[in-house]
Amino acid sequence: MIGCYDFCGHYEWTFDWLDREGGHELVRAFWDEAINQDSQIHARELILNEGFEGMAKYWGHTLLEESPDLGFKITKQEDVFRVDMHDCPSKGFLLRNDLEQYRDYCDHCMGWIGPLMKDAGFTINHEHNHCGQCWWEMRKQGEPDADVSVGATSGEADVRLREEWTQDAAHVDAYRKASDPDGKHI
Amino acid sequence: MSTPNALPYHDTKPQGAPDFYFETNARFRFLIARLGHEGWVRYLRDLGKSYYAPVNNQWQSGGLAAVAQYWRDFFAAEPGAKVEVEEKPDRVELDVQECPIFKQLRIGQREIVKEFCQHCFYLGQARANEAGMEMRLCGGNGSCRHTYAKSEAGLPPQDMSEIKEAQL
Repeated sequence: MIGCYDFCGHYEWTFDWLDREGGHELVRAFWDEAINQDSQIHARELILNEGFEGMAKYWGHTLLEESPDLGFKITKQEDVFRVDMHDCPSKGFLLRNDLEQYRDYCDHCMGWIGPLMKDAGFTINHEHNHCGQCWWEMRKQGEPDADVSVGATSGEADVRLREEWTQDAAHVDAYRKASDPDGKHI
Repeated sequence: MSTPNALPYHDTKPQGAPDFYFETNARFRFLIARLGHEGWVRYLRDLGKSYYAPVNNQWQSGGLAAVAQYWRDFFAAEPGAKVEVEEKPDRVELDVQECPIFKQLRIGQREIVKEFCQHCFYLGQARANEAGMEMRLCGGNGSCRHTYAKSEAGLPPQDMSEIKEAQL
């Protein structure tokens, strides 16, 4: 049986298998069709129907289940929903267990959240440092560029204030007003 | 860290998150739709040989006792599982009284891939073969029996009709 205790391990292994089997397009299709449109239909229903409130319900539940030590902070304002991930339970599992088959595990989040947010009428500002820290801001499509400087939205909870954010091993991938996993600029 | 001792990978929490089972079902649906049944089986065999290699090596060196200990620790880390693991002289039997995946998929009212239960055979057999063993499966759809035995036990070939199709 495939278990959920080591889920992130075989999930990450699967990205690499798909990449070898059908190339990058098959990996992208997996993130969109299998994750966004199938596995995470509970997230889709909440966010498509309730917007920011649905995001709060979904991530409030999911992150608490996956990260009971509360390694994250949610900031919800009138025009933005933000997650500061200080200790990603998923990437953290891979790092602690020295598991790395696929070239950038962190891309999978934009791979399914991006198409979902596009369908729901939102765009994403996002950065991840490949070390278990990232931040996300969802805003409605069509709004002017937002201030995404450090602390502007989440204050002292901004993950970029952590020492680890710029640790030597880290290199940050950044997305602005994006919804495509390949839409990063570094 | 809380560490089920025979598992090769360790997490900071004692059990996994059951919502991840939704992905496993969706993963199989995607693979079958895109690559066909043969592609899905190939995926499972590759997964069994490669990702699970550390466990297969434990089984090869530790024999049936290692198989039994692994499954006890495995199911202790799977939320909602009700499983009895019995070690006999020539085999290990898993009496899965409540499959944790089916339990969660039914709670979530998910459409379950009808071939879902076959994954335990294709994956289990690939892993057992790597350790010089055989695996057989009967039942399914939420409760089943797995048998792991050394090749010399002479288990009959797997009868695929003994593996049930999944239903909501």
